[in-house]
Amino acid sequence: MQDAITNALAIKVACDKVNVHYGDTHAIKDVSIDIQDKTVTAFIGPSGCGKSTFLRCINRMNDTIDICKVTGRIELEGDDIYDAGIDPVQLRARVGMVFQKPNPFPKSIYDNVAYGPRIHGIAAGKAELDEIVESALRKAALWNEVKDRLQSPGTGLSGGQQQRLCIARAIATAPEVLLMDEPCSALDPIATAQVEDLIHELRENYSVVIVTHSMQQAARVSQKTAFFHLGFMPEYDDTEKIFSNPSDKRTQDYITGRFG
Amino acid sequence: MTTTTTNAGADWKSPEAAARVRKRHAGDLRLKFAGMAALGFAVLMLAILLVSLFANGYQALRQTHASVTFELSAEHIDAADPQRGNYRAIVQDAVQGLFPGIDNPGELRSAVGILSNGAQNALRSIALNDPSLIGQEVTIDVPLSDPYDQLAKGLVDRDSPEDQRRLKDADIALFDTLQARDVVSLPINWALVTNADSRFPELAGLQGAIWGSFYALLVCFVLSFPTGIAAGIYLEEFAPKNRLTDIVEININNLAAVPSVVFGLLALAVFIGWFGMPRSAPLVGGMTLALMTLPTIIIATRAALKAVPPSIREAALGVGASKHQVVLTHVLPLAMPGILTGTIIGLAQALGETAPLLLIGMNAFITEAPSSLVDSSTALPTQIFIWADSPERGFVARTSAAILVLLAFLIAMNAVAVFLRSRFERRY
Amino acid sequence: MVGYTFLLILLLSAVGFVLNRNAAQELRAGGSRLHSLPVFHGGYALALAGLPALIFVLLWLMFEGSFVSALVRASLPAEAVAGLGAGELSLIMAEVQQTASGLIFGEPAQYVRDAAAYYNTLHSISDWAMFALVLFILAGGIFLARRSVATEFRARQRVEKVLSGLMIFASVIAIFTTIGIVASLVFEAARFFALVPITDFLFGTAWEPQIAIRPDQIAGAGAFGWLPVILGTLVITFIALLVAVPVGLLSAIYLNEFASPLLRKIAKPILEVLAGVPTVVYGFFAILVVAPALRSFGGDTLGLPISPNTALAAGSVMGVMLIPFISSFADDALTAVPRSMRDGSLALGATQSETVLKVLFPAAIPGIVGGVLLAVSRAIGETMIVVMAAGLIATLTINPLDSVTTVTVQIVTLLIGDTSFDNPKTLAAFALGLMLFIVTLALNVVALRVVRKYRELYD
Repeated sequence: MQDAITNALAIKVACDKVNVHYGDTHAIKDVSIDIQDKTVTAFIGPSGCGKSTFLRCINRMNDTIDICKVTGRIELEGDDIYDAGIDPVQLRARVGMVFQKPNPFPKSIYDNVAYGPRIHGIAAGKAELDEIVESALRKAALWNEVKDRLQSPGTGLSGGQQQRLCIARAIATAPEVLLMDEPCSALDPIATAQVEDLIHELRENYSVVIVTHSMQQAARVSQKTAFFHLGFMPEYDDTEKIFSNPSDKRTQDYITGRFG
Repeated sequence: MTTTTTNAGADWKSPEAAARVRKRHAGDLRLKFAGMAALGFAVLMLAILLVSLFANGYQALRQTHASVTFELSAEHIDAADPQRGNYRAIVQDAVQGLFPGIDNPGELRSAVGILSNGAQNALRSIALNDPSLIGQEVTIDVPLSDPYDQLAKGLVDRDSPEDQRRLKDADIALFDTLQARDVVSLPINWALVTNADSRFPELAGLQGAIWGSFYALLVCFVLSFPTGIAAGIYLEEFAPKNRLTDIVEININNLAAVPSVVFGLLALAVFIGWFGMPRSAPLVGGMTLALMTLPTIIIATRAALKAVPPSIREAALGVGASKHQVVLTHVLPLAMPGILTGTIIGLAQALGETAPLLLIGMNAFITEAPSSLVDSSTALPTQIFIWADSPERGFVARTSAAILVLLAFLIAMNAVAVFLRSRFERRY
Repeated sequence: MVGYTFLLILLLSAVGFVLNRNAAQELRAGGSRLHSLPVFHGGYALALAGLPALIFVLLWLMFEGSFVSALVRASLPAEAVAGLGAGELSLIMAEVQQTASGLIFGEPAQYVRDAAAYYNTLHSISDWAMFALVLFILAGGIFLARRSVATEFRARQRVEKVLSGLMIFASVIAIFTTIGIVASLVFEAARFFALVPITDFLFGTAWEPQIAIRPDQIAGAGAFGWLPVILGTLVITFIALLVAVPVGLLSAIYLNEFASPLLRKIAKPILEVLAGVPTVVYGFFAILVVAPALRSFGGDTLGLPISPNTALAAGSVMGVMLIPFISSFADDALTAVPRSMRDGSLALGATQSETVLKVLFPAAIPGIVGGVLLAVSRAIGETMIVVMAAGLIATLTINPLDSVTTVTVQIVTLLIGDTSFDNPKTLAAFALGLMLFIVTLALNVVALRVVRKYRELYD
């Protein structure tokens, strides 16, 4: 199987007939999607359509909500992530997540980034940890701004820097998939541009899934786009195709601004 | 990108990784168990507290009595002045009658000790109530004195060496004689709430303390309730946002955390020392408790007012009502359940307050219930303190019983508060 | 008589209210447009009659006692009081008052009986005078208020002004209370420091608050160094925190993170019950259960030299009392940490305990520290548990098995029973009270500030 991945973009996350119930609400209805490796996949759709909910299924963050029930099958490299043998703790190290609002811990910049490697025991020693932190901060395009103040609190950074710190924190555990839940919605245009550049670079190593409200953003950063509507996923295709020639009526209405 | 990212996917399935995750989850369990243990400790302590109180206190809920026939002989009581009769002699005669075998004064004296001193008082009040009974025989239930009460309840180990017991073999024999005659009974001890304090455990009751606490709480309520509401309304609705208001607010918060004993010092120096108010009086106690309860009521009032949605205010202001009218006729009624809840909780705290009452002398030994706000009196918590300090064995059970009574009052008050809260919880 | 006076105020105020309201209603019925509603005219009568009368009575009652006593004292025959100290004089006055109220012990001297009679006369004169004056004030108030009823009269503004005044007065009572506390403590403590040098008090290492019974008594001077007392307080506080902080924090973490909603619903009220138990009950618990248990376990089983009033008993019971206090503060602090922190940590693959210990707990530390500081202040000021379960003798020790005494214990024991305000023993209690007030106030101010800062952080 490994051989097939090398050139043609392999399938990283395979979802089959996923349903999510929040108490009595049926939030996700029969969604099946194959997310490719080394690709940015965008989830778009009107508010409340279930795109964030679905995103949270991929690293089992929905487990933290008591009333939430997920059925169907989600495979990460062929392993059913809802299998009893899969520990969400390990899964989440492989599937990182960046949230809508920057949420740095009230710790130093260094400790924020080192948090994941430390708990997972990734670094063998202090030197290796330093290396991981530096590399993550570099990948998040934050290193040059913070290299002189790694010990100052992460909460003291600007909004855009905080979000890049959170991205650095997420990639420090070397995840295979990076989930981003509207990562730019709390940022100004300049910070947004920086984060988008970053997403672009991340694609070289990761499978990135990004939920976004902004169709322009989806068009700018993604190669694949999935459109969510009322818990269904009517369309999933190449981003270019979705924005130029959608096959579903609802998608067309949405991207031409009829609703949403 | 110069860094080499190792795709860690394979590592996660190694035995080392599995072991590591197991270890980390064990940390979850450890924390969970530590938390459970801590919570369990707290609950266990409460359970031990309550169980020990019940185990000791229930002994005092019954009191051993003996049905004894006394002759109110005219020889000992002057019908014209029953107050001054020689009731001791009457009791002695009756005891002699109970134990015909006793023939020397020393033995008789110790045999008289089997009955409580309350017997004389009971006989006196009978004679006072109905002087026509003088010269006749009356049969009444009189409480046994504390050591015999303990014996009757099985709290005295008859097999222990005689010199380690308060009751000698002869005393126990007397009691057994009584019991054999079937005159000993163990009824519910209503005296616990109908009698005032006494030096003798078998006679001591809480009536005075209950009235003292009632009067003190009444004063506390009358003073702190209107004042607290007025202050709360002013600070929440009217006060300008300035330095003075800030100072008042900080002041109230700090006052709520001042140790209660300091309020006692204040009362002692100001109310008693400077204003010359009476010591040991529920009035002064109530005033002190009012000062302590005030912050609670103010804070509760403000919280309750805050919970009233601004739309109600705006609606009323919009139809031309003045700010005062809006607050008094629209906002305050809606906030009232919350204020009452806070007030009851504040009063419940005040009911349990002991230290300030000790300092103003509400721990005096007083054998009568107070009949006014300025009579000397004790209060429930100070009575508990006095009894806890008394050496007689019987007072251990009484103290526990008194605590049960106090807790019953507290539970009742809190139940009302909980009821109010659930009944009127934000319905708008 | 006092009761009747209050009844009079109540009745006549109601009469004034009704008179004014009816007069205003008649005006309206007569077709005129009133500026203020009739009820405000009624309220104006209350403000003009009832309020002054009430204030008058309260002032009268406040000063009546000391005034009458002064008159009676002045009337005592010179030969009976010649050469008596203030203490003896106050004893005589106490006897006079007891005699006057009908509590006669033994055979009081004739001059005491006379003074008692005079005392009673003065009181009844005073009562009648008060009654008459109140009647006059009420009548005048009602008259003035009734005259003011007119269509243009701005009764509402006046009434609201009075209401505002009353509300402002109610709000500043808190300040008056603080001033009263500070004034009384400072005043009495100053008298104490006039007798005992303040340096002796602050730095002395012996606390033996006896007073000389005879002036020539050598060992009677007593020693008033508060160090052993405050040290004892700190020992007990430390023991209490040793129990309360871990148990309280762990309970809060458990309830917040692990417990099912049902368990939370049951456990929280139980902790509240623990907080609602009066301290006198804890004190009794300490002497009835905990101290004997410690003695039999530590003393007999382990062979430790445990004193009967060991600081462990009082301290650990105080710790139990503080558990709900700490746990509710920690609970609030943990709840205040935004959910995004928890999500952030969990999304990185942290386990629940790692999330709690490495992210939530450090984030909540400021709020928890505030709560712990308040708990320290509580423990230092807590009275009944230590009065009942701790010792009376001040020893300079930090051994928790020993018996130690605390500031509050000394205050209570120095003041219990009959007290007069002129000997160092009594005044020492106020000096201790002053120190207690200062220490707890400082802790409270810092703690409240920390807690408030923390709330602002996440609001």
